Amino acid sequence: MKQTLQYDQLSCRLKVEGLPDVSVGQGGEALGIITGWSLQWAGRPELEGRKEHLLALMQVVLPYARYLISGVSRRFGAEPQPVEIGPGSQGGHTLLLRSSQADTPPLQLALDDAELADLVRVLDQLRLDPRLQLPLELPQSLPLRARELLERRPLVQRLAAPVGGVLAVVVASGLGLLVPEPKPAAGPATRPAATQPAATPPASAP
Amino acid sequence: MPQDPSALEPSAPLSRRGLERLDLLLLSAEALDLNGGEAMVWMSEQMGFTSLFPNRVELWKRRCTNPLRRTTRREALAPAETDALIRILCALADRLYPLLRGLLTSAEPPEVISQRWDLFRGRLTELIQARMNPRRGGVQVLLDPESGARQARLLIQALALGAGVGGFERLRASLLDAQP
Repeated sequence: MKQTLQYDQLSCRLKVEGLPDVSVGQGGEALGIITGWSLQWAGRPELEGRKEHLLALMQVVLPYARYLISGVSRRFGAEPQPVEIGPGSQGGHTLLLRSSQADTPPLQLALDDAELADLVRVLDQLRLDPRLQLPLELPQSLPLRARELLERRPLVQRLAAPVGGVLAVVVASGLGLLVPEPKPAAGPATRPAATQPAATPPASAP
Repeated sequence: MPQDPSALEPSAPLSRRGLERLDLLLLSAEALDLNGGEAMVWMSEQMGFTSLFPNRVELWKRRCTNPLRRTTRREALAPAETDALIRILCALADRLYPLLRGLLTSAEPPEVISQRWDLFRGRLTELIQARMNPRRGGVQVLLDPESGARQARLLIQALALGAGVGGFERLRASLLDAQP
C-alpha cells in the first residue's frame, strides 16, 4: 500500500512517501496522503519533513524561479514561513529552512544556478506526476507588471533619468538668470521723428 | 490534483518584446545544438504541430516575426502558434538540459566553464550576426561583449528554468510580461 515517488537530478533526489486515499476510491498506484518526504543533496545535509514543509518549499521555490526567468531576483518567504529563498550575497541563491522547534537554528543552503534548476525540475516532476492525487495550493505563474520588472534595474539606474531631468531644469534656470535684462526703452522725446511725415516744400509755380 | 499545463487555454498574443525574446531563446537553443534547426522541425512534428507549422518554411516564417530580424514579417502570431513555439522551446531545453546545466554550474573548474561559455557565445554571436539587423539597439546590446555576456546568461538561465513540461507556464508567463 505504501507508495514512494522518487525524482532524480544530478545534484538532488526528492523522495515522497505516502498512501493512496482509499476513502475517495484511489487505486494502489496513487498517492493521496503524503506521510513524509526527503530531499538529498550531493555533499549537503538531507532535508526531511511533513507535507506542510514540502508545500512551503514549493510555494517559494517555484515563484522564485518564475521571477528569475524574467530577470527579477526577489526574495520569497517571510519570517513566519518555514522556507525562504532569495538571491545570495555572493551570487547564486540562498535557501533558508526554519525549524518548527525553538532551539534549532535555521539551516542555510547556498545553491548555484544549476542546483536551483535541478531543484525546480524535481519539484515540477512531482507536481505534474499523475500518481500524486492531492490538491497542491501553488500560486499560478502570471505575467509580471511593469512595476515589478522595474525592480530588476538598480536604484541608481532608475533614478538617473528623473534626477538628470531636474538637474537640467535647474542648470537651465540658473543660466537664464545670468542673462542680463534688456535696457528699458528710450522716452518719446529722444525718439527720432520717423513717424512724422517729412515736410515737403510747396510746389513752386513755373 | 497535479496541474496539467496542456489543459490551459491559449494565452494572449505576445507583445513585440515577447516575440523578440522567444526567437532569441530559440536561437540560443540552436547555438547549443548544431542541429538545432532540424531538431526544431522534428520536435514540431513529434509534438503534433504539423497543422500549425506544416513545413520548415512555415516554422521559419513564424520566427521571422521577431522585429530584430534582418527580414522581419509584420504579421501577428496567433496565441495558438506562440504557445506551440513555446512548447517546442521547452522540449528543446529539456533535451539540452545537460548542456544548460554545464554552463550554469559552479562545481567545475572555472576554466572549463569559461571555455563552454566562449563556445556558446561564439555560436550565438555568429547566428545573431547572420540573422539579426545590426542597426537595431537590441542587437547591438547582444553583440556587445559586456552586456551581451549578461544577456546570454539570462537566456541560458531562462532555458534551464523553463525546460520540460513544467517550465511551459513559467516561460509563457515571462514572455507575456508587461513592458517596463
